[in-house]
Amino acid sequence: MEKAVKKYSAFMNFLRTPILTLIGIYAVMLLLFSLSSENFLTIQNFKGIFNNFAVFGILSAGVTVVMIGGGFDLSIGSTAGLAGIVSAVLLMKNITVPTPWVFIIAIVIGCTVGFINGLIITKVGINPIITTLGMLAVIRGVCYFWADLNPRVYNVFVQNLGRIYIGNVFPITTAYIIVAFVILTLILKFTRFGRDLFTIGGNESLARLAGIHVDRIKIISYIISGFFCSIAGLLLISQLGSGRPEYGTGAELEVITIVVLGGVVVLGGRGNFLGVFIALVIIQTISNGMVLIDTPVFLRMVVKGALLVLVIAIDALRNRRRLQLY
Amino acid sequence: MADIKAVEVSQKKNIRLNNTAVLFIILVVMFSVFSYVGRPFFFSKLNLIPMLNNLSFIGIVAAVLTMVMVSGEIDFSIGGNIGLTACLTALLLSRGLPGWLVVIIALAGGLAMGAFNGMLVTVVGVNSILATIGTMFIWRGIGYTLTNGESILAMNPVIDYIGRGFVFKVIPFPIVLLVVVFVITYVIMNLSKWGRSIYAIGANPLASYLSGINVKKIKFINFLLCGMTAALGGLILTSLSAVGMPQHGQGLELVIISAIILGGTMLGGGRGQILGTLAGVLILSVLYNFLTIMNIYYFYIQMVQGSVLILVVSAYEIRLAMAKRRI
Repeated sequence: MEKAVKKYSAFMNFLRTPILTLIGIYAVMLLLFSLSSENFLTIQNFKGIFNNFAVFGILSAGVTVVMIGGGFDLSIGSTAGLAGIVSAVLLMKNITVPTPWVFIIAIVIGCTVGFINGLIITKVGINPIITTLGMLAVIRGVCYFWADLNPRVYNVFVQNLGRIYIGNVFPITTAYIIVAFVILTLILKFTRFGRDLFTIGGNESLARLAGIHVDRIKIISYIISGFFCSIAGLLLISQLGSGRPEYGTGAELEVITIVVLGGVVVLGGRGNFLGVFIALVIIQTISNGMVLIDTPVFLRMVVKGALLVLVIAIDALRNRRRLQLY
Repeated sequence: MADIKAVEVSQKKNIRLNNTAVLFIILVVMFSVFSYVGRPFFFSKLNLIPMLNNLSFIGIVAAVLTMVMVSGEIDFSIGGNIGLTACLTALLLSRGLPGWLVVIIALAGGLAMGAFNGMLVTVVGVNSILATIGTMFIWRGIGYTLTNGESILAMNPVIDYIGRGFVFKVIPFPIVLLVVVFVITYVIMNLSKWGRSIYAIGANPLASYLSGINVKKIKFINFLLCGMTAALGGLILTSLSAVGMPQHGQGLELVIISAIILGGTMLGGGRGQILGTLAGVLILSVLYNFLTIMNIYYFYIQMVQGSVLILVVSAYEIRLAMAKRRI
């Protein structure tokens, strides 16, 4: 009996230390993929992996902030698509909008969507998942207003935004992600906003009783998420060179897998960006490895869904109550 | 003092009774307005019978999902379940299996999917919203993998009858199925001990556990039934379109869940009426059918679906907050 208890707690401790576990998983994965494909362990391939996760990385920065505050955001893919297609339309040859204005408009769009999300979630009090699921459909519909314009991006500055490699090896998008993660880590650690956010995620009613402006801080967290959505949208049109209304579809699945795998607790209150970054690399490496070993396209969808379920199940096991009565 | 309390209670009952009635009144008004605006086409046999057929599988899934939602859980994987069932049915038929066997296998597949969801939620203890969003992608992905993304013809006398047959040469068979499912769920929810415990679990799981209800078992059975009825819905959809393809049922979870919430089921569980769900399904089906008739793009209809979900939940949430403030 005593032994069983010990074993159980050792297992739980193993689950509770995500970062070391993640690095271990990654080492095993590298070994497996490099054994099964000779093209995997090359600089060229890793340049691709790191440049490809730009959009997901930027999106997961915002989602991490929202989820630490106990919220949820499923509308990220659609918001990124909206910001992307609007800025692509504004960058078209016959419309003369200066480039800085395009950036400002994209950011305003993202922040507005985040503000609306936050307003509905806090002031009306709806479940965040339901709200953002509805917003996902609404915003995707808005994207189709510009469906027949089919804009191309010829602006060199915007093109370079997501395509330059520093020293020909290190993609600049990864630098953006690292900068964003470091800044957010500092904000969450050393400002009042950050501490309040963790408190709200840990126990919302307690935070309210302690005099924290719960609604305001939650709305700000959704606005941060919207801001990163618009950056991700700009990176999308930069890397793909055009604006299409369906860009960003299904990003929410991948981003939530990344964030939860990175050790951010689904119910809020715990999480750090180092874990999210490692999870980001892991998930992108899996996607890349599946391409290299010729997994059928549709099977990849199953694998991604299964990964999400697995990751959430691990999160639930990690944080479950001692007595699971009901 | 006691008298005042009694009056308050009776008033509350009135409000709750009225909710379903109000929904049916809205339905009648909407239907008549739409019949007038969409004049020659909307109120014609050519439109109404397909509308009822389409509504039938939505209603069948919604009725049982109401049970899941009253117990405080939710199932987003119904759309994926429908898609996978459609693919499975068409694939098995193309291999030459007899129709009745295919129906049994499809329903068993639905049960298995429901069991997987139920295990995740009750045994592992995962938040049901996230778990079923994940399984939604898995089911649909398996559907794509099985059919390689193609649509497969599904022609078989038994399957044809499920969606396009007529009982006594007048009543479409899906409508019969719809009525049967609604009668069964109504009896379960309103007249049986099981239904009482579902309401109790939704209102307060800990208290129901302490009073001797096997919470996990009831939730698990609810998920099982939900999986099976979603498979039944998939069979009907396959039969209606005579084809099995993995895109079947895409985005249906949005419509079904907003219909259930429109019918007065609370998201957190504990409150909800089967008849309200019927009203919600009818209202939304009539609305979306009207939008289609008026030649509005699918993407804009999707926009309407999203805003209907948000608006309906907001309306109920605001009403609840106002009721609380009044007390």
